Amino acid sequence: MNKLGFTEEQRDCLQEIINVAMGLASDKLARFLNTFVHLQVPSIALVGAMHIPAEFENRYQDAEAALISQGFFGNEGVRGEAIVLYKMENAHKISALLGYEPDDVSEIEMLTDISSILTTTFLNGLAAQIENSLSYSAPRILSSRHGNVADVLKNTSFHWEHALKVDISYQLVDHSFNCDMILLIPGEAVTNIKNILDRILEAF
Amino acid sequence: MTLPVLICDDSILARKQVRKSLPESFDAEFQTAGNGLEALAVLRNQEIGLVFLDLTMPELDGIGVLEAIKAECIDCFVIVISADIQPEMQKRVMELGALAFVQKPVNEDKINVVLKQYGFI
Repeated sequence: MNKLGFTEEQRDCLQEIINVAMGLASDKLARFLNTFVHLQVPSIALVGAMHIPAEFENRYQDAEAALISQGFFGNEGVRGEAIVLYKMENAHKISALLGYEPDDVSEIEMLTDISSILTTTFLNGLAAQIENSLSYSAPRILSSRHGNVADVLKNTSFHWEHALKVDISYQLVDHSFNCDMILLIPGEAVTNIKNILDRILEAF
Repeated sequence: MTLPVLICDDSILARKQVRKSLPESFDAEFQTAGNGLEALAVLRNQEIGLVFLDLTMPELDGIGVLEAIKAECIDCFVIVISADIQPEMQKRVMELGALAFVQKPVNEDKINVVLKQYGFI
Protein backbone atom coordinates (compact mmCIF):
# COMPACT_ATOMS: atom_id res chain seq x y z
CA MET A 1 0.00 0.00 0.00
CA ASN A 2 1.28 3.48 -0.74
CA LYS A 3 0.10 6.83 0.58
CA LEU A 4 -2.89 7.07 -1.70
CA GLY A 5 -4.01 3.58 -0.97
CA PHE A 6 -3.73 1.31 -3.95
CA THR A 7 -4.15 -2.22 -2.64
CA GLU A 8 -1.36 -4.66 -3.53
CA GLU A 9 -3.67 -6.32 -6.08
CA GLN A 10 -4.49 -2.96 -7.69
CA ARG A 11 -0.81 -2.02 -7.82
CA ASP A 12 0.14 -5.35 -9.42
CA CYS A 13 -2.66 -4.96 -11.94
CA LEU A 14 -1.66 -1.39 -12.86
CA GLN A 15 2.00 -2.39 -13.04
CA GLU A 16 1.22 -5.13 -15.56
CA ILE A 17 -0.97 -2.81 -17.64
CA ILE A 18 1.87 -0.28 -17.64
CA ASN A 19 4.41 -2.98 -18.60
CA VAL A 20 2.34 -3.87 -21.64
CA ALA A 21 1.90 -0.20 -22.59
CA MET A 22 5.64 0.36 -22.13
CA GLY A 23 6.39 -2.59 -24.38
CA LEU A 24 4.34 -1.00 -27.16
CA ALA A 25 6.00 2.40 -26.63
CA SER A 26 9.49 0.85 -26.62
CA ASP A 27 8.78 -1.03 -29.82
CA LYS A 28 7.72 2.26 -31.48
CA LEU A 29 10.80 4.04 -30.10
CA ALA A 30 13.08 1.24 -31.31
CA ARG A 31 11.62 1.52 -34.80
CA PHE A 32 11.92 5.32 -34.74
CA LEU A 33 15.55 5.21 -33.61
CA ASN A 34 16.26 2.13 -35.70
CA THR A 35 17.88 0.36 -32.78
CA PHE A 36 17.13 -2.19 -30.09
CA VAL A 37 15.80 -0.99 -26.76
CA HIS A 38 16.57 -2.95 -23.62
CA LEU A 39 13.42 -2.87 -21.51
CA GLN A 40 13.42 -2.71 -17.76
CA VAL A 41 10.56 -3.09 -15.33
CA PRO A 42 9.30 0.48 -14.86
CA SER A 43 8.72 1.52 -11.29
CA ILE A 44 5.42 3.21 -10.62
CA ALA A 45 4.13 5.23 -7.70
CA LEU A 46 1.03 7.25 -7.05
CA VAL A 47 1.86 10.43 -5.12
CA GLY A 48 0.31 13.76 -4.23
CA ALA A 49 1.00 16.17 -7.10
CA MET A 50 2.39 18.73 -4.64
CA HIS A 51 5.30 16.37 -3.90
CA ILE A 52 6.30 16.13 -7.55
CA PRO A 53 8.63 19.17 -7.77
CA ALA A 54 10.67 17.98 -4.76
CA GLU A 55 10.83 14.41 -6.13
CA PHE A 56 12.51 15.56 -9.30
CA GLU A 57 14.53 18.50 -8.02
CA ASN A 58 17.51 16.36 -7.01
CA ARG A 59 17.63 14.22 -10.09
CA TYR A 60 17.60 17.16 -12.47
CA GLN A 61 19.22 19.79 -10.28
CA ASP A 62 22.58 20.14 -11.97
CA ALA A 63 21.47 19.07 -15.39
CA GLU A 64 20.06 20.90 -18.33
CA ALA A 65 16.61 19.43 -18.68
CA ALA A 66 13.73 19.51 -21.09
CA LEU A 67 10.10 18.97 -20.17
CA ILE A 68 7.43 18.20 -22.70
CA SER A 69 3.81 18.02 -21.72
CA GLN A 70 0.72 16.64 -23.40
CA GLY A 71 -2.87 16.66 -22.15
CA PHE A 72 -5.11 13.60 -22.55
CA PHE A 73 -8.75 12.88 -21.92
CA GLY A 74 -10.96 9.84 -22.32
CA ASN A 75 -14.19 8.23 -21.08
CA GLU A 76 -15.14 7.51 -17.46
CA GLY A 77 -13.39 10.63 -16.19
CA VAL A 78 -9.94 9.42 -17.17
CA ARG A 79 -7.98 12.57 -17.95
CA GLY A 80 -4.74 14.24 -17.11
CA GLU A 81 -1.49 15.56 -18.36
CA ALA A 82 1.57 13.52 -19.31
CA ILE A 83 4.98 15.10 -18.81
CA VAL A 84 8.17 13.56 -20.11
CA LEU A 85 11.42 14.82 -18.59
CA TYR A 86 14.80 14.46 -20.24
CA LYS A 87 18.32 15.39 -19.42
CA MET A 88 19.75 17.31 -22.35
CA GLU A 89 22.97 15.27 -22.27
CA ASN A 90 20.82 12.29 -23.30
CA ALA A 91 19.20 14.36 -26.02
CA HIS A 92 22.58 15.19 -27.53
CA LYS A 93 23.35 11.47 -27.90
CA ILE A 94 20.01 10.70 -29.49
CA SER A 95 20.09 13.64 -31.87
CA ALA A 96 23.49 12.48 -33.09
CA LEU A 97 22.05 8.99 -33.59
CA LEU A 98 19.13 10.35 -35.59
CA GLY A 99 21.20 12.80 -37.56
CA TYR A 100 19.50 15.94 -36.28
CA GLU A 101 21.44 19.19 -36.52
CA PRO A 102 23.32 19.78 -33.26
CA ASP A 103 21.46 22.94 -32.34
CA ASP A 104 18.90 23.69 -29.66
CA VAL A 105 15.91 24.11 -31.94
CA SER A 106 16.45 20.78 -33.68
CA GLU A 107 17.00 18.96 -30.42
CA ILE A 108 13.82 20.30 -28.90
CA GLU A 109 11.96 19.37 -32.05
CA MET A 110 13.39 15.85 -31.78
CA LEU A 111 12.43 15.56 -28.11
CA THR A 112 8.92 16.71 -28.97
CA ASP A 113 8.73 13.95 -31.59
CA ILE A 114 10.03 11.32 -29.18
CA SER A 115 7.71 12.50 -26.40
CA SER A 116 4.75 12.36 -28.69
CA ILE A 117 5.63 8.80 -29.76
CA LEU A 118 6.19 7.68 -26.18
CA THR A 119 3.20 9.43 -24.66
CA THR A 120 0.58 8.56 -27.25
CA THR A 121 1.75 4.96 -27.79
CA PHE A 122 2.01 4.39 -24.06
CA LEU A 123 -1.37 5.96 -23.28
CA ASN A 124 -3.12 4.29 -26.23
CA GLY A 125 -1.78 0.94 -24.98
CA LEU A 126 -3.00 1.73 -21.50
CA ALA A 127 -6.41 2.88 -22.76
CA ALA A 128 -6.91 -0.24 -24.89
CA GLN A 129 -6.39 -2.47 -21.87
CA ILE A 130 -8.88 -0.58 -19.74
CA GLU A 131 -11.28 -0.41 -22.69
CA ASN A 132 -11.08 3.33 -22.96
CA SER A 133 -9.98 5.61 -25.74
CA LEU A 134 -8.08 8.84 -25.38
CA SER A 135 -7.71 12.12 -27.20
CA TYR A 136 -4.64 14.30 -26.96
CA SER A 137 -3.78 17.95 -27.07
CA ALA A 138 -0.70 19.13 -28.93
CA PRO A 139 2.58 18.69 -27.04
CA ARG A 140 3.88 21.75 -25.21
CA ILE A 141 7.48 22.47 -24.41
CA LEU A 142 7.52 23.61 -20.81
CA SER A 143 11.13 24.36 -20.29
CA SER A 144 14.62 23.63 -21.21
CA ARG A 145 18.02 24.59 -19.97
CA HIS A 146 17.64 26.86 -16.99
CA GLY A 147 18.01 24.32 -14.21
CA ASN A 148 14.67 25.27 -12.71
CA VAL A 149 12.87 21.96 -13.17
CA ALA A 150 11.23 22.18 -9.75
CA ASP A 151 9.71 25.61 -10.49
CA VAL A 152 8.35 24.50 -13.83
CA LEU A 153 6.85 21.37 -12.28
CA LYS A 154 5.34 23.46 -9.51
CA ASN A 155 3.64 25.75 -12.02
CA THR A 156 2.38 22.82 -14.04
CA SER A 157 1.24 20.53 -11.28
CA PHE A 158 -0.29 22.94 -8.78
CA HIS A 159 -3.83 22.54 -10.03
CA TRP A 160 -3.68 18.75 -10.08
CA GLU A 161 -4.23 16.60 -7.01
CA HIS A 162 -2.43 13.40 -7.88
CA ALA A 163 0.38 12.18 -9.99
CA LEU A 164 1.28 8.75 -11.25
CA LYS A 165 5.03 8.64 -11.49
CA VAL A 166 6.43 6.18 -14.02
CA ASP A 167 10.18 5.82 -14.00
CA ILE A 168 11.29 4.79 -17.44
CA SER A 169 14.74 3.72 -18.38
CA TYR A 170 15.59 2.86 -21.94
CA GLN A 171 18.93 1.39 -22.71
CA LEU A 172 19.76 1.46 -26.36
CA VAL A 173 22.35 -0.89 -27.80
CA ASP A 174 25.23 1.48 -27.35
CA HIS A 175 23.68 4.47 -25.65
CA SER A 176 21.74 4.74 -22.50
CA PHE A 177 18.79 7.02 -22.47
CA ASN A 178 16.71 7.73 -19.44
CA CYS A 179 13.60 9.75 -19.11
CA ASP A 180 10.84 10.10 -16.59
CA MET A 181 7.19 10.14 -17.35
CA ILE A 182 4.75 11.78 -14.98
CA LEU A 183 1.03 11.43 -15.42
CA LEU A 184 -0.77 14.19 -13.57
CA ILE A 185 -4.34 13.20 -12.82
CA PRO A 186 -7.21 14.70 -10.82
CA GLY A 187 -8.62 13.01 -7.72
CA GLU A 188 -11.75 11.65 -9.37
CA ALA A 189 -9.60 10.07 -12.09
CA VAL A 190 -7.73 8.09 -9.40
CA THR A 191 -11.03 6.80 -8.06
CA ASN A 192 -12.11 5.91 -11.59
CA ILE A 193 -8.83 4.14 -12.29
CA LYS A 194 -9.19 2.14 -9.07
CA ASN A 195 -12.71 1.11 -10.07
CA ILE A 196 -11.44 0.04 -13.48
CA LEU A 197 -8.61 -1.98 -11.88
CA ASP A 198 -11.11 -3.66 -9.55
CA ARG A 199 -13.27 -4.53 -12.54
CA ILE A 200 -10.28 -6.13 -14.29
CA LEU A 201 -9.31 -8.00 -11.11
CA GLU A 202 -12.86 -9.28 -10.63
CA ALA A 203 -12.65 -11.04 -13.97
CA PHE A 204 -9.98 -13.38 -12.57
CA MET B 1 -1.87 -37.44 -19.49
CA THR B 2 -1.46 -34.52 -17.12
CA LEU B 3 1.29 -32.14 -18.20
CA PRO B 4 3.42 -30.43 -15.54
CA VAL B 5 3.35 -26.72 -16.42
CA LEU B 6 5.27 -23.77 -14.98
CA ILE B 7 3.95 -20.22 -15.33
CA CYS B 8 6.72 -17.68 -14.75
CA ASP B 9 5.88 -13.97 -14.50
CA ASP B 10 6.55 -11.31 -11.87
CA SER B 11 2.96 -10.11 -12.15
CA ILE B 12 0.22 -11.99 -10.33
CA LEU B 13 -2.29 -10.60 -12.81
CA ALA B 14 -0.26 -11.86 -15.77
CA ARG B 15 -0.02 -15.35 -14.23
CA LYS B 16 -3.79 -15.37 -13.74
CA GLN B 17 -4.31 -14.16 -17.31
CA VAL B 18 -2.36 -17.17 -18.58
CA ARG B 19 -4.35 -19.60 -16.43
CA LYS B 20 -7.64 -18.08 -17.52
CA SER B 21 -6.69 -18.20 -21.21
CA LEU B 22 -6.02 -21.92 -21.18
CA PRO B 23 -8.81 -24.18 -22.49
CA GLU B 24 -10.51 -26.83 -20.33
CA SER B 25 -9.21 -29.54 -22.63
CA PHE B 26 -5.66 -28.63 -21.60
CA ASP B 27 -4.88 -31.23 -18.95
CA ALA B 28 -2.14 -29.75 -16.79
CA GLU B 29 -0.81 -29.40 -13.29
CA PHE B 30 0.35 -25.86 -12.56
CA GLN B 31 3.19 -24.31 -10.66
CA THR B 32 4.17 -20.65 -10.64
CA ALA B 33 7.38 -18.65 -10.34
CA GLY B 34 7.74 -14.91 -9.73
CA ASN B 35 11.07 -14.41 -11.48
CA GLY B 36 13.72 -16.24 -13.50
CA LEU B 37 15.67 -17.53 -10.50
CA GLU B 38 12.55 -19.11 -9.01
CA ALA B 39 11.78 -20.66 -12.37
CA LEU B 40 15.22 -22.22 -12.68
CA ALA B 41 14.99 -23.60 -9.15
CA VAL B 42 11.84 -25.46 -10.22
CA LEU B 43 13.20 -26.53 -13.61
CA ARG B 44 16.41 -27.95 -12.11
CA ASN B 45 14.56 -30.11 -9.60
CA GLN B 46 11.39 -31.21 -11.30
CA GLU B 47 10.20 -32.53 -14.61
CA ILE B 48 8.35 -29.68 -16.31
CA GLY B 49 6.83 -30.26 -19.72
CA LEU B 50 5.93 -26.71 -20.66
CA VAL B 51 6.91 -23.25 -19.41
CA PHE B 52 4.99 -20.04 -20.04
CA LEU B 53 7.76 -17.48 -19.66
CA ASP B 54 7.70 -13.69 -19.29
CA LEU B 55 10.79 -11.76 -20.40
CA THR B 56 10.98 -8.51 -18.42
CA MET B 57 11.39 -9.63 -14.82
CA PRO B 58 13.49 -8.71 -11.78
CA GLU B 59 16.33 -10.95 -10.46
CA LEU B 60 16.72 -12.94 -13.66
CA ASP B 61 14.89 -12.12 -16.89
CA GLY B 62 13.38 -14.52 -19.41
CA ILE B 63 16.41 -14.39 -21.68
CA GLY B 64 18.55 -15.53 -18.73
CA VAL B 65 16.16 -18.43 -18.16
CA LEU B 66 16.27 -19.47 -21.82
CA GLU B 67 20.07 -19.32 -21.79
CA ALA B 68 20.24 -21.50 -18.67
CA ILE B 69 17.76 -24.02 -20.11
CA LYS B 70 19.92 -24.27 -23.20
CA ALA B 71 23.24 -24.43 -21.35
CA GLU B 72 22.04 -27.01 -18.86
CA CYS B 73 20.12 -29.03 -21.47
CA ILE B 74 16.93 -28.86 -19.42
CA ASP B 75 14.25 -30.78 -21.27
CA CYS B 76 11.12 -28.62 -21.55
CA PHE B 77 9.15 -26.58 -24.06
CA VAL B 78 8.98 -22.81 -23.59
CA ILE B 79 6.30 -20.44 -24.81
CA VAL B 80 7.37 -16.84 -24.26
CA ILE B 81 4.62 -14.40 -23.31
CA SER B 82 5.93 -10.86 -23.32
CA ALA B 83 5.19 -7.18 -23.71
CA ASP B 84 8.61 -6.69 -25.28
CA ILE B 85 7.53 -7.16 -28.86
CA GLN B 86 10.51 -5.75 -30.72
CA PRO B 87 11.26 -7.95 -33.75
CA GLU B 88 14.85 -8.40 -32.60
CA MET B 89 13.68 -9.69 -29.23
CA GLN B 90 11.29 -12.16 -30.86
CA LYS B 91 14.12 -13.39 -33.06
CA ARG B 92 16.40 -13.74 -30.05
CA VAL B 93 14.00 -15.87 -28.02
CA MET B 94 13.34 -18.14 -30.99
CA GLU B 95 17.07 -18.56 -31.52
CA LEU B 96 17.42 -19.49 -27.86
CA GLY B 97 15.01 -22.34 -28.43
CA ALA B 98 11.58 -21.00 -27.49
CA LEU B 99 8.70 -22.77 -29.20
CA ALA B 100 6.64 -19.65 -29.75
CA PHE B 101 6.26 -15.97 -28.92
CA VAL B 102 2.93 -14.61 -27.72
CA GLN B 103 2.29 -10.89 -27.34
CA LYS B 104 0.86 -9.65 -24.05
CA PRO B 105 -1.84 -9.30 -22.93
CA VAL B 106 -2.67 -12.97 -23.54
CA ASN B 107 -6.14 -14.20 -24.35
CA GLU B 108 -7.74 -17.53 -25.23
CA ASP B 109 -7.37 -17.06 -28.98
CA LYS B 110 -3.66 -16.30 -28.89
CA ILE B 111 -2.88 -19.20 -26.55
CA ASN B 112 -5.12 -21.70 -28.34
CA VAL B 113 -3.45 -21.09 -31.70
CA VAL B 114 -0.06 -21.96 -30.23
CA LEU B 115 -1.24 -24.91 -28.14
CA LYS B 116 -3.02 -26.40 -31.16
CA GLN B 117 -0.09 -25.79 -33.47
CA TYR B 118 2.23 -27.80 -31.23
CA GLY B 119 -0.27 -30.50 -30.30
CA PHE B 120 -0.78 -29.63 -26.64
CA ILE B 121 -4.55 -29.67 -27.14
